[in-house]
Amino acid sequence: MHREAVRVDLGLRDYEEVLDLQERLVRERFAGSIPDLLLTVEHPHTYTLGRAAKEEDLLLSPQELDRRGIRTFHIARGGQLTYHGPGQIVGYPILDLREFGQDVHRYLRALEDVLIRTVGSFGIKGERIAGRTGVWVGGAKIAAIGVGIRRWITFHGFALNVAPDLSYFHGIIPCGIAGCPVTSMSLALGRPIGSAEVLPVLGRCFADTFGMEMRIEPNDWLCRFAGIPEEASLAAR
Amino acid sequence: MASNVVMPKLSDTMESGVILKWVKKEGDAVEAGDILAEVSTDKADMEMEAYVSGVLRKILIPEGKTAKVGEVLAIIGEEGEEISAPLAIAPPAEPPQARKEPAKAPQGAAGARKEVVESPQQEAEVGPIKASPLARKIAAEKGIDLSRIQGSGPGGRIIEKDLEGALAAKPAAKAPPAVAQVPAGPGEYREEDMSLMRKTIARRMTESKTTVPHFYLAMEIDMEAAVHIRKSLNDLHPEAKVSFNDLIVRAVALALRKHPRVNASFRGEKIRWNEAIDVGVAVALEDGLITPIIRRCDTKNLTEIATEMQSLAEKARRKRLRPEEYQGGTFTISNLGMYGVENFSAIINPPEGAVLAVGAILQKPAVWEGEVVARHRMKVTLSCDHRVVDGASGALFLQELKKLLENPVSLLL
Repeated sequence: MHREAVRVDLGLRDYEEVLDLQERLVRERFAGSIPDLLLTVEHPHTYTLGRAAKEEDLLLSPQELDRRGIRTFHIARGGQLTYHGPGQIVGYPILDLREFGQDVHRYLRALEDVLIRTVGSFGIKGERIAGRTGVWVGGAKIAAIGVGIRRWITFHGFALNVAPDLSYFHGIIPCGIAGCPVTSMSLALGRPIGSAEVLPVLGRCFADTFGMEMRIEPNDWLCRFAGIPEEASLAAR
Repeated sequence: MASNVVMPKLSDTMESGVILKWVKKEGDAVEAGDILAEVSTDKADMEMEAYVSGVLRKILIPEGKTAKVGEVLAIIGEEGEEISAPLAIAPPAEPPQARKEPAKAPQGAAGARKEVVESPQQEAEVGPIKASPLARKIAAEKGIDLSRIQGSGPGGRIIEKDLEGALAAKPAAKAPPAVAQVPAGPGEYREEDMSLMRKTIARRMTESKTTVPHFYLAMEIDMEAAVHIRKSLNDLHPEAKVSFNDLIVRAVALALRKHPRVNASFRGEKIRWNEAIDVGVAVALEDGLITPIIRRCDTKNLTEIATEMQSLAEKARRKRLRPEEYQGGTFTISNLGMYGVENFSAIINPPEGAVLAVGAILQKPAVWEGEVVARHRMKVTLSCDHRVVDGASGALFLQELKKLLENPVSLLL
């Protein structure tokens, strides 16, 4: 019998807004009032700096960031510097790891599995590189992973480059690795590809990997079921 | 007594972790369950809880430093307690040579599940296209769909020459807009996993329609009197909000009491005569339907039925029904009248023996006491499981139902 889980696609949302939502959902998941969740979202141009990130990894001046309309966030997690933006599917699984073996590394490897299966469905060979969590294609990073765990409930997650403007990665030293090459599914395939094409595949690969029955729910499910008050729900922007 | 806080083992392969942040400081009071610190391993950050209460007396591993699994990070004790003679470092949980390369531990949470990705159908046609870089470039510039080109290179690889045909075939064609470059898939569609509810509906309805021998009895009922009595009732007691469906539920309950065969179930070698009359009413939801049940329907008056129905329908729409509120009915009513459907036949909800499909109440010409006049009329169709209900017994039930609804005062008793 597969476990019941729910996927909600939030569309284009501010980083901050979804961070706030995750905090609430972690509490709800811990209380058992919602099933395992996979939130998917795209962010506007955003750089996030984890605790290990160094300011000098950010290669653009505040003025330049402003000019390009890029927001930056210092966040309470490990990891370094990450770019999020349109054309990148960001996945935030809110899972209870007590039901998946309570093993942080197994969880990270499972996320890599999901992403390798997803890009594999499109004919792209994704790989692991030992000691560098994430998914790589020919030595370039196609998906980044960085998770948070609170009382064995997961938050944060992964970012899959479907077809983002990769020049935004030039403004940072990603993952603290200077000259770390970055790629996207579009680049690897040599054809345009949209998130809408990838999302259903990602959802299925996620469900397969975690042995879940994944139900797709619209945005407002979060307020109807998760006890998230209406005003905190994500009103269309 | 003082106790050690050690680096937790967060995974089978974890050897050490980094203290990202001490949430509690030396001297802070700590309750079991409080978050003490955040530790990081690989790309995962974990909040570490205290297992005992007391005071955080001493932090041994500062922020930013690495500690082995099992190594003492801090000491929780009581105020003023002697902690100067601690506290041997616990041995690391695994010898160093047991190091496992993460890349060699590819199993996900699903453990030994098969590793091969089952390519979803829609990807079958957009798989890797073998083409030379030059061919790709030309194709991108000229808007040629490579998936439609037969390659003549090694292994079917598309080379520049193969594009000549496509270029010549449409000499006048300008490069089409970017969307046209997307290799044609099987068209646009959205695919999603079936919800549990959809699956349940699919399974049960298939089971019913393929194993239960259905037959159908239709009847038109004059609702003129019912329209009037409902109006009078609601004028007198607006708070009751009696609906036509409530009248029908009440009438069905009384008719079932008189014709228990229609309330019976097929149970293999036996027929179960249900003493209880528990009528389910189908409620439409976004992605399916559910039939909350009004129990002991024949013992409830119209107002009770109306109130209960409203509360059940609301719960159903909010998906808050408990299983006992929608499982184990003896008869079902499905009413599509509010959508203007004139008549239809429903699929029996096993193991029930029959289901009543109710159409819209429409004003139309009818012969009434020898005259053609405009009357409110309603069509109903009874689907019966022929293993339990025969044509005549179903017909008698419908006759009774018609009599009750055409003389609705009897529903007020």
